[in-house]
Amino acid sequence: MFDFVVAGVVAPIFLLVFVGFTVGTVGGFIGVGGGYMVTPALIVFGFPGYMASGIDMTHIAGKGLVSTIRHRQLGNIDWTMALSMVAGTMLGVELGVRLLVYFKKLGISGVVLLLTSVVVMFSLFLYTQIETRRAHRKAEQMTRDGQKIMREIQTSNLPSYFQRIPFFPIVRCRTARVVVSMWVIVGVGVITGFLAGFLGVGGGFIRVPALVYLVGASTHIAVGTDLVEIVFSGGYGALRHSMEGHVDMMAVLFMILGAMFGAQFGSIATSYVRGPAIRYILSYSLILATCGAVLRLAYVLTGQSVEILSLLAVMLTLGEMIFLCLFIISLVLFAIRHRKGKTVPPWVPSLVV
Amino acid sequence: MEHGTRGRAVVKFLFWTAVAASLVFTMARAHVSGRLAAWYYHTAAIEGYAVNADTFLDATAAAPATLAVGNFERIEGRQAVPVKQGDRLPANANGIIGKDILDKGVRATLAGDTIVVKVPWKISESKGFKFKDTFKHKGIKTYPWGAAWNVAMTLGIGLALGFMAEGFTDLLGIKLEKIRHFEGH
Repeated sequence: MFDFVVAGVVAPIFLLVFVGFTVGTVGGFIGVGGGYMVTPALIVFGFPGYMASGIDMTHIAGKGLVSTIRHRQLGNIDWTMALSMVAGTMLGVELGVRLLVYFKKLGISGVVLLLTSVVVMFSLFLYTQIETRRAHRKAEQMTRDGQKIMREIQTSNLPSYFQRIPFFPIVRCRTARVVVSMWVIVGVGVITGFLAGFLGVGGGFIRVPALVYLVGASTHIAVGTDLVEIVFSGGYGALRHSMEGHVDMMAVLFMILGAMFGAQFGSIATSYVRGPAIRYILSYSLILATCGAVLRLAYVLTGQSVEILSLLAVMLTLGEMIFLCLFIISLVLFAIRHRKGKTVPPWVPSLVV
Repeated sequence: MEHGTRGRAVVKFLFWTAVAASLVFTMARAHVSGRLAAWYYHTAAIEGYAVNADTFLDATAAAPATLAVGNFERIEGRQAVPVKQGDRLPANANGIIGKDILDKGVRATLAGDTIVVKVPWKISESKGFKFKDTFKHKGIKTYPWGAAWNVAMTLGIGLALGFMAEGFTDLLGIKLEKIRHFEGH
């Protein structure tokens, strides 16, 4: 047990290290900060709500950097895309935070925030799930036909539409092999940053699909590039939270130490899979997070009287972290078996390398 | 692994391990010496009484806690120090019972040289989650350079741990090659 003097909580260190590890694994694999999982977990451990958000955002900045370093080694970062997006992301985050403050003044921030979370996450889940299933079927067909499959299989037509927008300057993102107007990248940064700032999260679960489906980056590059954004937006968020006094640095430290191991595993795991596998995990994380948000919304709308709803939301969120972590571990194990020529379930070969 | 490559991996791993260890040690020392808490509970943001909110968490309306008011340099147990906005907080203070709360007289009341606390915490809600909201952290302002220090330490530790892990895999000879995104497999 450790006495977190600033937060006023006595909690076991291993719990924070464990949360750091699981979220680090998931975050390193799908390119998210994992704020929607960490904040509830910290509240369950007894951290006050404001403190949970601050600790979460601060640890995301450190963990994002750990994952970024590994993704850089794997060649998953397009620096042109990442740096073009930074200013847009920061502007978007600031606008989102201001809108949230406005709704707080109106006294309806809780309901609006949860409702927006549900709509955004469910829409993203639906699109990602439909498109990824289509890509998976295509990959399975190619496997049956004995064709070589690229690392990325993507079936959406949206990127070609956005890449045709002719506004100057046009940038060449060499790693992602994308030629696109810089304003498209900046726009993606502003919109995803806005939603991230408004929802109080790092925004990875919005930015990764946006980079894949709007800009046309491959999923691996979207994950690596998004983690660079998370370092910037997380660092900015950490500064704001620290100034407000919402951060216990010892809790942050233990979580980063756990995240170091998880982020290594999650990042390296991406080299074992194809793009659709990452998008599958992303979409499952979105639907689970949506279910959690729906339960919390129902709890708020019922005047916080049905305690079971809050309890279920917490259990779902904690279960989600462990489920996703185990899913990623099994994918890597299947990939290793497949490489060795051993038997794997029929849906695996087209998803792993 | 070639001799030169292995040598570079050893140097890289040892260097970044040393950097990470020194940063973690610096943070641990700041925690033990009380500097982290002192930076955190730094200045009064409102007018009221600085307290250590942990000392009266068990108070109830039936058995209220009584805090002695005085100009103490360090708060020991159930004591309260009057502060104005912008005043430096006394040592060991971690929250302020605001003048407005005392004026309302519901959660706490001022009675001569004592403050009587009847409701030390209430259940609040954040993003659909309930938590125990105490007087801790209320009405305080953190040291601005402390916030910058937090961010610098977080990024510094992240950077050092990231390169340390990279050095470790290099040291073990685990060859992580760049992913060939646009080649068939």
